[in-house]
Amino acid sequence: MVSVINTVDTSHEDMIHDAQMDYYGTRLATCSSDRSVKIFDVRNGGQILIADLRGHEGPVWQVAWAHPMYGNILASCSYDRKVIIWREENGTWEKSHEHAGHDSSVNSVCWAPHDYGLILACGSSDGAISLLTYTGEGQWEVKKINNAHTIGCNAVSWAPAVVPGSLVDQPSGQKPNYIKKFASGGCDNLIKLWKEEEDGQWKEEQKLEAHSDWVRDVAWAPSIGLPTSTIASCSQDGRVFIWTCDDASGNTWSPKLLHKFNDVVWHVSWSITANILAVSGGDNKVTLWKESVDGQWVCISDVNKGQGSMSASVTEGQQNEQ
Amino acid sequence: GKERTTSGEGRERKAGPAALGLVRRTDRVVSGSHLAPLLGLTDPGFSDCPDLKMSRVTTALGGSVLTGRTMHCHLDAPANAISVCRDAAQVVVAGRSIFKIYAIEEEQFVEKLNLRVGRKPSLNLSCADVVWHQMDENLLATAATNGVVVTWNLGRPSRNKQDQLFTEHKRTVNKVCFHPTEAHVLLSGSQDGFMKCFDLRRKDSVSTFSGEATEAGQGTPREWVMTGCCVLRLHPSFAHGFLWRLYVAAPWGTLPSGCSKGAPRQSESVRDVQFSIRDYFTFASTFENGNVQLWDIRRPDRCERMFTAHNGPVFCCDWHPEDRGWLATGGRDKMVKVWDMTTHRAKEMHCVQTIASVARVKWRPECRHHLATCSMMVDHNIYVWDVRRPFVPAAMFEEHRDVTTGIAWRHPHDPSFLLSGSKDSSLCQHLFRDASQPVERANPEGLCYGLFGDLAFAAKESLVAAESGRKPYTGDRRHPIFFKRKLDPAEPFAGLASSALSVFETEPGGGAMRWFVDTAERYALAGRPLAELCDHNAKVARELGRNQVAQTWTMLRTIYCSPGLLPTANLSHSMGKGGSCGLQLMNSFNLKDMAPGLGSETRLDRSKGDARSDTVLLDSSATLITNEDNEETEGSDVPADYLLGDVEGEDDELYLLDPEHTHPEEPECVLLQEAFPLRHEIVDTPPGPEHLQDKADSPHVSGSEADVASLAPVDSSFSLLSVSHALYDSRLPPDFFSVLVRDMLHFYAEQGDVQMAVSVLIVLGERVRKDIDEQTQEHWYTSYIDLLQRFRLWNVSNEVVKLSTSRAVSCLNQASTTLHVNCSHCKRPMSSRGWVCDRCHRCASMCAVCHHVVKGLFVWCQGCSHGGHLQHIMKWLEGSSHCPAGCGHLCEYS
Repeated sequence: MVSVINTVDTSHEDMIHDAQMDYYGTRLATCSSDRSVKIFDVRNGGQILIADLRGHEGPVWQVAWAHPMYGNILASCSYDRKVIIWREENGTWEKSHEHAGHDSSVNSVCWAPHDYGLILACGSSDGAISLLTYTGEGQWEVKKINNAHTIGCNAVSWAPAVVPGSLVDQPSGQKPNYIKKFASGGCDNLIKLWKEEEDGQWKEEQKLEAHSDWVRDVAWAPSIGLPTSTIASCSQDGRVFIWTCDDASGNTWSPKLLHKFNDVVWHVSWSITANILAVSGGDNKVTLWKESVDGQWVCISDVNKGQGSMSASVTEGQQNEQ
Repeated sequence: GKERTTSGEGRERKAGPAALGLVRRTDRVVSGSHLAPLLGLTDPGFSDCPDLKMSRVTTALGGSVLTGRTMHCHLDAPANAISVCRDAAQVVVAGRSIFKIYAIEEEQFVEKLNLRVGRKPSLNLSCADVVWHQMDENLLATAATNGVVVTWNLGRPSRNKQDQLFTEHKRTVNKVCFHPTEAHVLLSGSQDGFMKCFDLRRKDSVSTFSGEATEAGQGTPREWVMTGCCVLRLHPSFAHGFLWRLYVAAPWGTLPSGCSKGAPRQSESVRDVQFSIRDYFTFASTFENGNVQLWDIRRPDRCERMFTAHNGPVFCCDWHPEDRGWLATGGRDKMVKVWDMTTHRAKEMHCVQTIASVARVKWRPECRHHLATCSMMVDHNIYVWDVRRPFVPAAMFEEHRDVTTGIAWRHPHDPSFLLSGSKDSSLCQHLFRDASQPVERANPEGLCYGLFGDLAFAAKESLVAAESGRKPYTGDRRHPIFFKRKLDPAEPFAGLASSALSVFETEPGGGAMRWFVDTAERYALAGRPLAELCDHNAKVARELGRNQVAQTWTMLRTIYCSPGLLPTANLSHSMGKGGSCGLQLMNSFNLKDMAPGLGSETRLDRSKGDARSDTVLLDSSATLITNEDNEETEGSDVPADYLLGDVEGEDDELYLLDPEHTHPEEPECVLLQEAFPLRHEIVDTPPGPEHLQDKADSPHVSGSEADVASLAPVDSSFSLLSVSHALYDSRLPPDFFSVLVRDMLHFYAEQGDVQMAVSVLIVLGERVRKDIDEQTQEHWYTSYIDLLQRFRLWNVSNEVVKLSTSRAVSCLNQASTTLHVNCSHCKRPMSSRGWVCDRCHRCASMCAVCHHVVKGLFVWCQGCSHGGHLQHIMKWLEGSSHCPAGCGHLCEYS
């Protein structure tokens, strides 16, 4: 049920650390230890190199696409302690901004939902999370949360703009007063949820404890018709948790163990409709998970990186879909 | 364990035990079994030393074993350089105001000797560099910032151990270096651009090398007098001492050199000098202009080879301890390069990119491809690189709080102990197993769920290749598979990484979204009878293999379009759902007997709209008609009455109407025919009394206002629906299915199929709307619209916005018009929302009459662009046709 469409020849000279598709699914950005960020056009199974962005002085860990309403913007973060925001102007990609506000490797970048404007969250090994807000005319305002995670922050992920419960007090039709939130995961084995206060300061709202080793990735599920907030997290300890919050206040989060893998789990990624979770682990496998009717997470398939074809285990969850 | 093959042992053998000034500690020797963990043998990341076995280490260390832990000690002053004694048990630290020897004990550093003696230490003691002789444990040399080279003899009985003083350099001496095997030869490199070779048995340098010298075989040959030197060339295997004596005995004054003859030009500063470990006569020097020179010690007149190694100063170099020709150089350009010097032209073998300028580079013992670096500024860490993996350091030591100035491996055959001195006034011993490994922290995989459910997955290729054993590029052009780099099986190296990036396609169950696009494009949401819509959508779903969805549509049809209701549903459905346009449009055709031409044209538009080709046209025409229609509907009750009459009394007439509704081009006409037989059953059912009531109510319902009292809150057309419900209600309560339908919608939404939820919501319109709270509906709508826009299904998205009943959603279509305003004075765009231009700090829109800011309607002349309050301008123009601003323009306002 999963087949290789395409093996992209990235020509990266070292390990690739991240690959991200843009909003429309037509372009793929990759970044590598070789300090470069590359952008490919992958429409119709093609793979045309559009840009090779050089500017970092160390391995580039992560890339993130901004919402296209702001133009073609890509953020990258690197071991060189810098975050670079790249912008396409008249067909050429150029460095538009460089943020050097961290004292150590910057491990993760994530753009806020477009409703908030152009805001970028950056998590660093120095334990801080910085938030860059575009204020117009090439200016970026920086807010920094120091000591967000002791030893370091590995991942950041924004909550979708529509948080259930946030609309309660809003008369329908009026622009809701969004509450900005994001989740972060770090070397202190914690997942933390951050919320912007009315005075514009960021405050730790929740501390989610379940992992017993570094949290490697967090992914807040897109809110597509779902009544609950959901966060997926994975860790060095091999475990993947699904955190859900049903109450409107957003204070009670309950973890559910999706699976315990035998190796480090590096990434979790939600499908666009938030009903399927892709998990990639140290054994170089990607597994797809889906919640069945009775609330259990079942593996609906796994992609063994090399093989291309995969064992399709049709399960209950999948049948429901079809 | 006595068999020695490496050069180090040779050196060791030469050093006489009598030369030991300090007693060698033996209590540090422990059994080999303790050694394994200490040497980092358990490090998975360092497979580079696969043959690092206990026995080997023991051999290499000549029976003595190093033990220790990561530790540091505070110095009194910043260190500039460190050097380790050949016994690996002592380290000397030198700096501007420090010169001490420490014993490296198991748990700590212990100060052994302070060589900085005397009340007022002279500048000679301000050390830029220090080196401990690798053969003679008593012999040290320092380079002073004032240009003096000093040697120290620890065997001197007095407190002052200073031995010899060479004051030949004019500026700071950056580097001193002992010959690896020759006891009395010392080399220095200075800021003044010269390198000098000293024989410690003489008071002066034996030769001077100028950085200005030309390469052998290049440039203008000068007058060479080479007395004595040729002898040396004859037989390099002569006893060294003899050779050197010969060399020294040569008439030095006759030897030309850049400094002794002719006016010395301003030379490039020498940053490092290093004797080759393997080639007896060779040394390398590095310069601030980026050059590296290779010299034969017997030929001071010219260097053997010169090449530009770096962009900017080359701060350091180091010869590979085993590979004869390998020289590592580090520069301000943040790069470490490894050169093969054995070839005719120096060949760049590897290039490591660090994040700061490279101050020191030292090959790691016993690990062919590893070297340690520290940087001159910014970065305080010490890195160990595998030169084959030039982007990510293999290990990192983060102990220092300030720039690291000196690094030294504790023993030439032990890869696990590294010593370092720093500007933060500390001396550290680093253990390899305690090093942090950035590679381990690095994420080896990238994973992304694409929009269409495709997965992009990048993973380490070495692992992949090993696991799957798949064939490399097979020549299938359709799905080309490339490999970045073929792994060389001859040199397995787990640390060497490249990644393969694949894009996977998933099927619907796996999150593929093709169905979403197809469905969105093909679904019919409005403009036709409910039954038709349901049937159509069921068909679409079935064709896409989504049987559950298809089944749902069929069920919906059964529930809401039961036979007797069908005709009513036909009309009312379209009304209820279309809300503002679609249904009323149809109404108007029927009721008002519009010209067939117009009717069919509109129908065409509608069907085009469904095909998503021509929205603009559709919108405008539809809106136009709707408006008219609205007015008429509201204005007189006649049409509605007429329609109702039809419904109640004469079903047959409706039948007649139906074919008119149906456009001949529409394939769904078949479905309509199917519906006919079903209808007949209902004819027998007598209309209930409530039905009459409803019917009577309906004309009073106004077109746009919600009528809370009735079942039909939104528009008049809905009343028709309630009528039909009434008909049916005689057998089933009106809400009989609503709970079920509501749950069904929620189910789909939770399954991630918000498309189904919204589509049903639109198609069923008022039938279900009341059962689902506004907020949820709004959320579904916005989610669905977001998704549609991601897939660039603008037309569908627009249709959904139009058909939605949520005000928050329907206003989306009016939200994205932006007016860009320029300041009337400086002509620049007005960025802020205020009335004052940011740039010229003037109010942008002043009334030319009253000179106040216009905050409402601003009317201006298109000729001279002056204007102001509408009232003021009107008044002004009554009296004058000239511009009120006095610009002389004859303004015209129309």
